[in-house]
Amino acid sequence: MGMSVALDGNARQAAVVKLDEEHSLIRRAQGGDRLAFEELVGRYDKDVLRLAMNLVRRPEDAPDIYQESFLRVYRNLHRFRFECSFYTWLYRVVTNVALDHLRRRSSRREDQAPAIDEPDGTTHDFFDRQPEQSAAANPERVVLGQELREQIAGAMKRLSPRERMVFEMKHYHGMKLRAIGDLLGTSEETAKNSLFRATKKLRETLNFMR
Amino acid sequence: MDRNIHGSHETGTDWCVEWETLLILFAAGEELDSAEEANVIEHLAHCGNCRAALERERALLNELTENRVEPDVALLASCRANLRDALDREEEGGWWRRRIGALVPTNWMSPRPAWSAALLLLLGFSAGIFGPRVLEHHPQILAQNRPSSPAINAGSNPDADSPQANEPGNSPLTALDLRTADVSGINVIPAGTGEPPEVQLQLNQHQPVTVQGTVNNNDVKRLLMYVLDNSNRFDPDVRINAVDLLRAKTDDPEVQSVLCHAAHSDRNTAVRLKALEALDGAEPQELVRQTLLDALNDQNPGVRIEAINALQSMAARGQVVSDDHMLSVLRDRMLNDPNTYIRMQSAAAFRDLGPRQKF
Repeated sequence: MGMSVALDGNARQAAVVKLDEEHSLIRRAQGGDRLAFEELVGRYDKDVLRLAMNLVRRPEDAPDIYQESFLRVYRNLHRFRFECSFYTWLYRVVTNVALDHLRRRSSRREDQAPAIDEPDGTTHDFFDRQPEQSAAANPERVVLGQELREQIAGAMKRLSPRERMVFEMKHYHGMKLRAIGDLLGTSEETAKNSLFRATKKLRETLNFMR
Repeated sequence: MDRNIHGSHETGTDWCVEWETLLILFAAGEELDSAEEANVIEHLAHCGNCRAALERERALLNELTENRVEPDVALLASCRANLRDALDREEEGGWWRRRIGALVPTNWMSPRPAWSAALLLLLGFSAGIFGPRVLEHHPQILAQNRPSSPAINAGSNPDADSPQANEPGNSPLTALDLRTADVSGINVIPAGTGEPPEVQLQLNQHQPVTVQGTVNNNDVKRLLMYVLDNSNRFDPDVRINAVDLLRAKTDDPEVQSVLCHAAHSDRNTAVRLKALEALDGAEPQELVRQTLLDALNDQNPGVRIEAINALQSMAARGQVVSDDHMLSVLRDRMLNDPNTYIRMQSAAAFRDLGPRQKF
């Protein structure tokens, strides 16, 4: 028990040091230090690329989302005032860029179905209207042929973009549902429901594949 | 690897339906308040099914987390390289804008559009109402701001610092003139020892105009600064002359900023080099220091060498103090610069600047 407390204390201290380092990097980047900015990019860009791949229907668009997101961060970093964590701010940028991208794509599609409220009164927002990907649609996204990863990748593809995002932000990045709701411009309740649906789908898919 | 992570039921869960929501949130972590968490723990203590289902849920989440799909390494590397290129392009175009932008209180204005609009209106009205009155009572301001009366010969004007234009009735050197004018050449007339040289700037407008004076004259200075700020409109030789002339005014923060901009962003290597040379003797502001550090990453090896030399000579004069950032940039050049000479020079600078400042 005592050891556990000590480890917790060490972990907390390490987190504080890491946060201080990050704040120092951000301040340097705000002052125009390009190397500091690139170090910040290096800390988060893998997550950003994965998030982008989850958000857009065409994986080949993910690099565009990646680049535009970091350019927006670069241009607007002076506006970051440490009121939220940097990654929350960054993810908000990525989400906005991805939304703009999806809107542009949608507006170019002549066959895009109009937004229609369901007969039961439920309304579907932009994320809900994005078509889900079939597991076979993107063979290049299947990673390295490892069976379990393939199954998990297939299961993740069955989620809607919003379900994937909520699941990823909650379980891969440890964000709270309230923050996720804020980030996606929706309520905590909606984020919670998305998480429930995502978990249920994953459970069912992986159970079915077993 | 145990892939039986969902138990044996088709639904994958065995938990009590009324506890499902709380249990999913409990498994997700940090979503329940302390009372809800206590209730869940108490329920788990009595319900074996929910306990087992929770374990399976956690196992599923662990599997998903440990085996998440990561972006392809080659794709990530390609994204990084493209981002670097895009940032280079961004810096070329946006460096000056960001410097100016730092002076504008956008942090205050952005979230308060109504107040900002009201403030701007108020400022506009105030300037319109009180500006003319102030100018009326202080005619010297008008005189200072009014461009010189036209003349041909500097010698005929007792005030050597007044700019002169050779066009009778010439319009003032306004911002509009600068935008439309093309500086076709700069003639430098050497002065006595210690005196700034006389400058003749030939502008091609609707009719040719010559502005003449020393760099101490505000209009001449503005014109030279304008040349450097708008490098795409003027030939490199004109820009190099402008840098050379402004060198005498590096104690002026405006001139310093423009020289930093040229050292940082001018597309011509010779201009960047000349600007760095000019900054070598400048009273070091943070901007100068940062410009020299940025120049260590210039694409041209000559510029990088000049930047190292400038940093070393300024450090020798006690004008710059090294810090971790400067040392890290020098260390990076020392280890990674493709040019052998620069790696050696960086190592020498690192040796000179590092220990001296630390001990």
